[in-house]
Amino acid sequence: MSETMSAKDLSAKITKEYMNEAFHAHELGKIVGYTTAISPVELFVAHDVVPIYPENHAVACLTARMGTELSVATESLGYTSHLCAYARSDLGYRLTGKSKTGGIPNPDVLMACNAQCFTLTKWFQVLSRAGNVPMFVFDTPEYIRNTRAREEIVKYCVLQLKEMIKWLEEITKRKFDYDRLREVMKYSAKSSLLYKKFLDMAQYKPSPISIFDALIGMAIAVYRRGTQECVDYYQTLCDEIQAKVDQGIGVLKNEKYRLYWENLPVWFKFSDHAKLLGSYGGVILTSLYVHAWSLEFDLDKDPLETMAEQYVSRFSNSTIEDRADMALKLFEKYDMNGMIMFMNRSCKAVSFAVPSLKELLTKRTGIPALVFESDMGDPRFYSETQIRTRIEAYFETLDRLHGDRMPIRA
Amino acid sequence: MWENLDPNKAVAYAREPYGSIREWKKQTGKKIVGSTLADVPEEAIHAFDMLPVTLLGTHKPLKKASSLLPDNACSLARSNLELALTYENDLFDGFVLPQVCDTTQHMCDIWRINFPDRYVESILLPRQINRESARYWVKEETQRMIDSLSNWTGKSMEEGALAESIRIFNENKVLLKKLYDIKRESPGALSNKLLFALIKLSMQVDKKEMNQTLKGIIDSIKPAKGNGYMPVILTGIACDPLEIFDLFDEIKLNIVADTLVTGTRYLQGLVDEDKSPLDAMMERHFKRGFYSPIHDDVFKNVEALKALYKKENAKAIIYIHIEFCESEEYDVPDLKAAMRKEGIPFHELVTEYQTLSLSHVRTRLQAFFESLKGGSL
Repeated sequence: MSETMSAKDLSAKITKEYMNEAFHAHELGKIVGYTTAISPVELFVAHDVVPIYPENHAVACLTARMGTELSVATESLGYTSHLCAYARSDLGYRLTGKSKTGGIPNPDVLMACNAQCFTLTKWFQVLSRAGNVPMFVFDTPEYIRNTRAREEIVKYCVLQLKEMIKWLEEITKRKFDYDRLREVMKYSAKSSLLYKKFLDMAQYKPSPISIFDALIGMAIAVYRRGTQECVDYYQTLCDEIQAKVDQGIGVLKNEKYRLYWENLPVWFKFSDHAKLLGSYGGVILTSLYVHAWSLEFDLDKDPLETMAEQYVSRFSNSTIEDRADMALKLFEKYDMNGMIMFMNRSCKAVSFAVPSLKELLTKRTGIPALVFESDMGDPRFYSETQIRTRIEAYFETLDRLHGDRMPIRA
Repeated sequence: MWENLDPNKAVAYAREPYGSIREWKKQTGKKIVGSTLADVPEEAIHAFDMLPVTLLGTHKPLKKASSLLPDNACSLARSNLELALTYENDLFDGFVLPQVCDTTQHMCDIWRINFPDRYVESILLPRQINRESARYWVKEETQRMIDSLSNWTGKSMEEGALAESIRIFNENKVLLKKLYDIKRESPGALSNKLLFALIKLSMQVDKKEMNQTLKGIIDSIKPAKGNGYMPVILTGIACDPLEIFDLFDEIKLNIVADTLVTGTRYLQGLVDEDKSPLDAMMERHFKRGFYSPIHDDVFKNVEALKALYKKENAKAIIYIHIEFCESEEYDVPDLKAAMRKEGIPFHELVTEYQTLSLSHVRTRLQAFFESLKGGSL
């Protein structure tokens, strides 16, 4: 079936089937588990817990410019306007019932992994209280640059994964199947490598994909990790992009600036940004954010150990110095000559690193950075004129600096 | 330096402790180690013959911190960063910084990057305490911190040093609890401001010396029940500036219990002296009360506050919010709703480090007090 479908159609089909499964989970003998986009979801998949990501649902609503309406509803409950826009959108959806996609099923269990951020733990606590839903926090201490600490962190995380399995067994009254986990891990490992291959196609000149393609393309990696259809999807996607590469088709005909993006996107300005940057010959190629799902599981290791190692070492749980090193590797690999650093008011986990990261990256690459502040989902905090002016000024700076191409200094 | 202080001097030092810490350093030649909130096993720092100092912000204006942490970051975090970067830069020999939330996690990195010539160690305390793995983790991290301090100072912890530090720190907490008991019953004899100033100062200066001051104050207090005091519970993380307590004192709100990290939660950190120090320090981590960034039973805070309100026969709960503390911002709407459901008067005060004027706090507190007296909210 997938061989004859485009990646876009395949994505739509997988998503439809997935949501159908989620809404009928109980009839299928399964339960619904809310989790965070970066989390050891393989345990859920292996135990017939359908993973639902309230963040993904929030993205759909925010991209459809429902951010302000849903936030205002949430604020009426006493929450502040500077909390995570995903959380504000989700709590607003629960209050008003308004959704771009028809909503998501209610959770039977909640699992928050703080390798992504601390906010999700607090947000899920609100959901846990509201529905008296069992909640598990997979605590991932920052993956600091200390060998002993890293060894300890992995041990601590493996202990917690074992606790999570016990927790799931108690709730579902079913024994956890480790053989099934190994199978799920194989799919997860394979699809993650294909996902990374897809992202890395931005190395080509001109690049066949922009970050906007990556942001659309990452969805399946987030919510269908650990399944055969996820592998099929990324194989199809890679094949399609490779065909573009073979034909020399790039996002822009006259690609002049190959840009790095720091942070999550401004979801409601998604296509506007692509068009605006494109008019200056700029294409954003990648970010640490989209690479968060470029997991590299070692299937020769114990599944819990390789999961622990991978999930604790995501960019969002790494030190600022390590984030800078990760970004620098992308600069070299993708030959980028510009960077846009987005100070996202509602994502503290990523944004509080931005000022320091910007200093480290500009110092080590010699590339100037464009910094702007806004909110990823709430248009009330987006100043169209100011941001447009900044973008224009930035490209003028780049033009003045080197006219054509800027060498990368590692 | 901090022995036998009279109450006025103690309050003055609590408001601005760094001059005296600087002087103490000069006199003793000992190292000063700064830590941010919360739960750093400070006894271990003391056992290396250094002074652990809990950083609790500065009232001076921000100069450098704003460029490193945006204005929607926790105001205590920004204030502490400014304190260390600008105002007391040369005072601290090193830092041990705990991580409990996104802000504190980034703070550790920012601190390390901006103090390349200083000892900066993170202590990665668990952000869940409702499972067995957290016990393993606290013990491992405490041991790693001890080994790191040993590596930095170039000396091993002397035998018995940790037990002795624990004894001194426990004594400090016991004395402060005694003062709290006195104040609870005799609000006319001991003001809110003095009690919380003594707790704050105890978190920042040499506890052996401070214990002498506490003993002296306890001995000098003459019970005075006072008239017209209304018992209230104070909840939150920290209450700053100290002058906020003047407002409570002015309108005779007697804080009979609190859940502050800079209050009762600190006093709950007693270590069992009959157990091995490391095990006992680990155990005490799980005996403390609710702290918003650390995951536990999601109803714990609400239930604990309800129980405290009932136990202390309080008339209201006052929540003090540090501006931009994201963690608490997720808790408060549910907390407020739960208290309302129970018919418990609940009042919210918002403060920000670097706040100069407290007029808005005074107005809100007075209005709340009037409504309490009038019996309606």
